[in-house]
Amino acid sequence: MFDAVQRNLPFLLAGFLTNLQLAGCALAGGIFLGILVGLGRISSKAWVYRPVTLYVNVLRNIPLILVIFWFYFVMPILVGKTLHPFVSAAVSFIVFEATYFGEIFRAGFQSISRDLVSAAYSTGLTYWQTARYILVPIAFRRMLPSMITQSIITFQDTSLAYVIGLQEMVRRTTIVDSMEVRSIELYSFVAVLFFVVCFIGSRISRHYEEKGRRANLL
Amino acid sequence: MIEIRSLSKWYGKLQVLSDINETIQRGQTVVICGPSGSGKSTLLRCINGLEPFQKGEVIVDGISVGDPKTNLYKLRQKIGMVFQRFELYPHMNVLRNITLAPMKVKGIPRKQAEQKAMELLTRVGIPEKAGEYPANLSGGQQQRVAIARALAMEPEYMMFDEPTSALDPEMIQEVLEVMMGLAREGMTMLVVTHEMGFAREVADEIIFMDAGRIVERGTGDEFFRNPKHDRTKEFLSQILK
Repeated sequence: MFDAVQRNLPFLLAGFLTNLQLAGCALAGGIFLGILVGLGRISSKAWVYRPVTLYVNVLRNIPLILVIFWFYFVMPILVGKTLHPFVSAAVSFIVFEATYFGEIFRAGFQSISRDLVSAAYSTGLTYWQTARYILVPIAFRRMLPSMITQSIITFQDTSLAYVIGLQEMVRRTTIVDSMEVRSIELYSFVAVLFFVVCFIGSRISRHYEEKGRRANLL
Repeated sequence: MIEIRSLSKWYGKLQVLSDINETIQRGQTVVICGPSGSGKSTLLRCINGLEPFQKGEVIVDGISVGDPKTNLYKLRQKIGMVFQRFELYPHMNVLRNITLAPMKVKGIPRKQAEQKAMELLTRVGIPEKAGEYPANLSGGQQQRVAIARALAMEPEYMMFDEPTSALDPEMIQEVLEVMMGLAREGMTMLVVTHEMGFAREVADEIIFMDAGRIVERGTGDEFFRNPKHDRTKEFLSQILK
């Protein structure tokens, strides 16, 4: 019954690899930029806080699919040449996910008491040392469960990159389906693959939630 | 020497410190008491630059805290601080809590920093807890670690912000004993506390604050036996009963 899947397995799995790679880029870049966004959102300096807040509010109120489209059409004008869909999609995801991770980090940073930060300062640690050794590690552990959840969402969303022609798994499935006309089997297979990866992810999230609770960090 | 001259501070329109004047000489222990919201903690936080202030001067060993050119990070190395709720780093064990600042701020090698930390832990009576995480310690033990953490930077001044008010009664003494030891060794200390036994024993001066002002000051016995101001009398009668 699943022979259509079997025949096209390498082609489909190569597409799934693209999803994984895109999610990898989106998460690495999105989390790094998200830390800066989170720090910017709690900054007391208006020239830092205001533009970062504007960026977060704008991006969080636009559907991801529009951001993907927008970058795909605007980047060539900015850069001067057409970008590979993967690069364009990766940039869109990083810029988009950074706002979500930024808000997760902001909540994490704000969960740390003012006196804990004062205690770090009172020993002579600088702002950046306090951020690096105290704020970020504690916030990171507290936020790990929500970060994993957001990562799962990011991973699911990578399939949206099909709209700019990126040959990820959903795109490749539509291609295969147009030749084989076996929609139910093909899309079921895609769904199962996504489900397995995301379900494992949510279990990992649960694990860290329990662990954080046991260590009195949540 | 810490000199505070006509210090005033506002949160928006609310004045929280009014015209504070005080000089703390080397080796002195000054106890600050007063009802909550009287500005005691804020005063401490102004001295090591954790809070900005709008008027007056705070001068620590000739360095003006309010001067924008002052390197506050450097100044704070001179002034250790201990907080009401201990504020240990929850993700680091006791040893790492103590060695972090000496290693990162002063660049002291790990071995040396750990040796010093163990000495300090012995001094506060809990060397066996070096590998524990803060959550596994009692309040009294956590506060002693916090004192060791502050001392690890070899500060010239120590400030305590209600160090025993979050502790169960049976743990107060173990923390006070460490503090008394420090005072006797000649550490310059500023202590916000309602532990009047401690004040009587080691304070060179007791300051009573109310509504952002220093209402009354005196030496131990004089302050307790013969308070002049009505607010002081009322406050003392409440906490000594």
